Amino acid sequence: MNWLIVKNDFKRNKVINLALLLFMMFSAGLAILSVIMGVQTFASISELYEKAQPPHFLQMHKGEINQDRVDEFISNYEGTTYFQTVTMINVHGESISVVGNNDTYDLSDNRLGIGLVKQNETKDLLVDFDHERVVINDGEIGIPVLLKEMYDMEIGDQVVLTFDDMQREFIIKEFILDSQMNSPMVSSTRILLSDDDFEMLNGQVGENEYLIEAYFTDSKEASDFQTAYENAGLPQNGQAVTYAMIFLLSAITDITTVFVLLLVSILLIIVSFICVKFTIMAALEEEISEIGTMKAIGLQFTDIRDIYLIKYRILAVIAVIIGYILALLTSDVFTSHIRTTFGNMSMSPLAIVLSLAVGIFVFILINYYCNKVLKRIKKVTVVDALVRGKGFDKDKGHVKDGLHKSKKIPINWLMAIREVFYKFRNWIIVFTVVLIAVLMIMIPVNLMNTFESSEFITYMGSSLEDILIEVDNGEDIEDNYGKVLQVLQNDHSIESYYESRRVRVQTTDVENGPMNLHIDSGDNSGNELKYISGEAPDAENEIAISYLNNNEIGKNVGDTMVLSYNDKQKEFTVSGIYQDVTSGGYTAKSKYDFSELNSEKYSFSVNLKENSEVERTADEWSEIIGPGVKVAPMEDFINQTLGGVVAQLKTIVLLIIIIGACLVMLITVLFLRLRLAKDLSEIAILKALGFTEMDIKKQYLIKIGFVAIAGIFAGVILTGVLGERIVNLVLSISGLGVQKVELIVDPLIQYILIPLLLLVLILLSTWIVLRIIKKYNIISIINE
Amino acid sequence: METILKVENLEKSYEDTQVLNDINFEVVEGEFIAIMGQSGSGKSTLLYSISGMDRPTSGNVLICGKDIAKLDDVKMSAVRLEQVGFVFQHSYLLKNLSIRDNIVLPGFKLGKLSREQVNKNADALMIKTGIDSIAGNDIKKVSGGQLQRAAICRALINQPDILFGDEPTGALNSSTSRGVLDIINDINLDGTTVIIVTHDVKVAARADRVIFLMDGNIHDKLTLGKYDGDEEKTSYREKTLYEWLEKKGF
Repeated sequence: MNWLIVKNDFKRNKVINLALLLFMMFSAGLAILSVIMGVQTFASISELYEKAQPPHFLQMHKGEINQDRVDEFISNYEGTTYFQTVTMINVHGESISVVGNNDTYDLSDNRLGIGLVKQNETKDLLVDFDHERVVINDGEIGIPVLLKEMYDMEIGDQVVLTFDDMQREFIIKEFILDSQMNSPMVSSTRILLSDDDFEMLNGQVGENEYLIEAYFTDSKEASDFQTAYENAGLPQNGQAVTYAMIFLLSAITDITTVFVLLLVSILLIIVSFICVKFTIMAALEEEISEIGTMKAIGLQFTDIRDIYLIKYRILAVIAVIIGYILALLTSDVFTSHIRTTFGNMSMSPLAIVLSLAVGIFVFILINYYCNKVLKRIKKVTVVDALVRGKGFDKDKGHVKDGLHKSKKIPINWLMAIREVFYKFRNWIIVFTVVLIAVLMIMIPVNLMNTFESSEFITYMGSSLEDILIEVDNGEDIEDNYGKVLQVLQNDHSIESYYESRRVRVQTTDVENGPMNLHIDSGDNSGNELKYISGEAPDAENEIAISYLNNNEIGKNVGDTMVLSYNDKQKEFTVSGIYQDVTSGGYTAKSKYDFSELNSEKYSFSVNLKENSEVERTADEWSEIIGPGVKVAPMEDFINQTLGGVVAQLKTIVLLIIIIGACLVMLITVLFLRLRLAKDLSEIAILKALGFTEMDIKKQYLIKIGFVAIAGIFAGVILTGVLGERIVNLVLSISGLGVQKVELIVDPLIQYILIPLLLLVLILLSTWIVLRIIKKYNIISIINE
Repeated sequence: METILKVENLEKSYEDTQVLNDINFEVVEGEFIAIMGQSGSGKSTLLYSISGMDRPTSGNVLICGKDIAKLDDVKMSAVRLEQVGFVFQHSYLLKNLSIRDNIVLPGFKLGKLSREQVNKNADALMIKTGIDSIAGNDIKKVSGGQLQRAAICRALINQPDILFGDEPTGALNSSTSRGVLDIINDINLDGTTVIIVTHDVKVAARADRVIFLMDGNIHDKLTLGKYDGDEEKTSYREKTLYEWLEKKGF
């Protein structure tokens, strides 16, 4: 019997049932997709890490190395399971040219340090997309995916390494995944050669850098090891990174993607549930006389509820299954970046189990929700349903007398505004959905704007200038510094430039243990950064420290800290704490010159008189200064560093805008159809009084327009209030060294384009639905 | 007296069901017409078709010489707004408006008079119908009789040529009904043409003429003359009408 009723209902109420199915499907599909994305991101990284085995501790070092001392220290350290020192031949981008199918180019514009390496035996392996150890033959070369993406290289392209008196040609055999250097956020990348080719070049070309790698029973021991290692005075002329930082830097793009998708999913699930409730209520409203009849012939509440519950359960099961299938199918699109960065990976069992669990959870949630909504049937009496035609609506609120007081407002506007003003509750769905759509679209759009904006670099520990020149550590560092200085002093196109040099000093951490501190020292050092607290150092005895160093050292603004170097000690006051992701996030800034110390690195931030000349000038200087110095327009630096995140975000934002737009249109159509069904008698009365169809359409357009504008307005305000908080919460959870970001708003997009787009779509959908009014006949409605 | 309404060869059908067949009659200015008939005889359908609330399937309906049968939505709306007032069996006031706001609404929509003047006219109508004390009330908080009086005020706010009523007292008790009827009679005596559908002899007895419908055709007509409120005459009119109807098996 119930089945027959349900079957007939599906035939009769196709539109409402389809809308319900869509909403349930949206909820289930998005929840499942978010879970798949989240699990796959972490599973892919984990699998790559399991196969490639990046080190738990990595100390990069340039210059002389006493290998025996290093080996002895590490082997005697308790908890060490494995260690190795990998030799990397650092070459300049100018030395590498690529002959592709279409053009020939060199990598001189690349800001990453490029190192040539051979394959390791068992750990820190460079692997292919199937996570297999890559074997390279003589004359072949393995290029990191990072460079492939930047330059669009292809298998079979020729790579020519050119040094002073030597030229070697290689064919790209494989694109390799480098578990520890696969993010543009890391400053180096590795190119794989065969053992013989590597040995042939080793000592002949470039400059050697050593990767001192250690493995422990537990990767968390890395930070204790780092302190012990530094205390022992072992080689440390370079950056030290621990496993946790390697992991986070690799995953920032995909973590951002998962975060955005999760946010959108949660908002969409909220919308879907609101709509499920609204649709069920409207369906019940339409069937109020059937419900009354069933009650009148003696059916109990539970009998009637079960008829509807069966229907909604069937819909929910179908929706969850379709949602699951769609999520599986579309997950390929969303996980493409994960595959490119971390290699191919079949769906992990955890992703399957968890997504199934989420599907079941959504079903249970829908079931519970329907049950709750259907309880209202209990309160409807036979007389209410059949005689008074009273539905589930609690007609709350008092009618305000006052229309007659209006002197000027046109009657259609007057009626519409009064309705929205006094009966806002009736329109809350449209308001909420528009608000959520604005939030859903604006937060990712602002996030993308922020990542894309040149100002974002200031969150990363760099200042915002036209050109960035970096002179890295090495034998020629002072010569190269001199060359740069000469160029800058003689170039009249320069408006201003600031130089800073990096030095290494010792201090103590929060547990009073010794630790190294890398300080960028210079006249402008620390200026133009975003400070979480305090400000840039001003006096010579002031220092600003990065957020991660602040955690490590335990000093806050106003505290003093003692820096030791060359057997001297000097007291500094912490002037500010800033955010930084460069150099592993552990940096400091000071105006003091530390003249007794050798420089680890020189940086120049240059501002030109003419902004349009940036590209050309950078190329020119690069040519003059020669190898060993990176000269890059700041824009390139930003693009190379954040390009991946922005590209991925762009795809997602576009998708979100489409989803958001479809959502508001769908809800508007659905809501309005149900609203019109409810307002039939009011519409008939207005027609009988002499209002034209156009008058009635105008009233609805004004009502929806007002509600939509209110929703957009509230959405924009909430984006301002909540957007940054949400983003900052996620950033601080991710532990990337950036804790506080001010979202950068593009006023044209936020205040004009997106609100206009939404408003136009809503009004267009309203207009289309309103055509139905033409079919309304006064008498048939009044006689119903 | 001039003809205010002329119905020619009017037919109305819904899908396969023919409800009205070849209806012809005329109404002159200031007349009070009652349309009677058995349930299903088509009396309400006739009223809707001649008042512009519904479109006839064929035939002509001329109000003040203008055929409203084939007007488009805008022109038909103008007829409903300006030339016709309609009172349904239930008041059908807009529930989001107060009594007074409901009454002034068509006046504001028409916009021929200033809103101040519309408000004054509404006040006068409410005083006349005895609902001025509840002008600002929520429609959910007044009685059925008061609602129906408000509906009459609303129908009259634009001073229509003809006031139509579909069982305007059908949902009221007898004393309230009498009060509403008195108002309609007064309006008619003031010069407004009134055409109502009723099955109540007491109501129809107040009309100048009674048109009796049977199976969608005008079966017969009875002229009673102008009602003047005299009790003796009223009893006589009711008796005459009663006997007339009895012969038709009503």
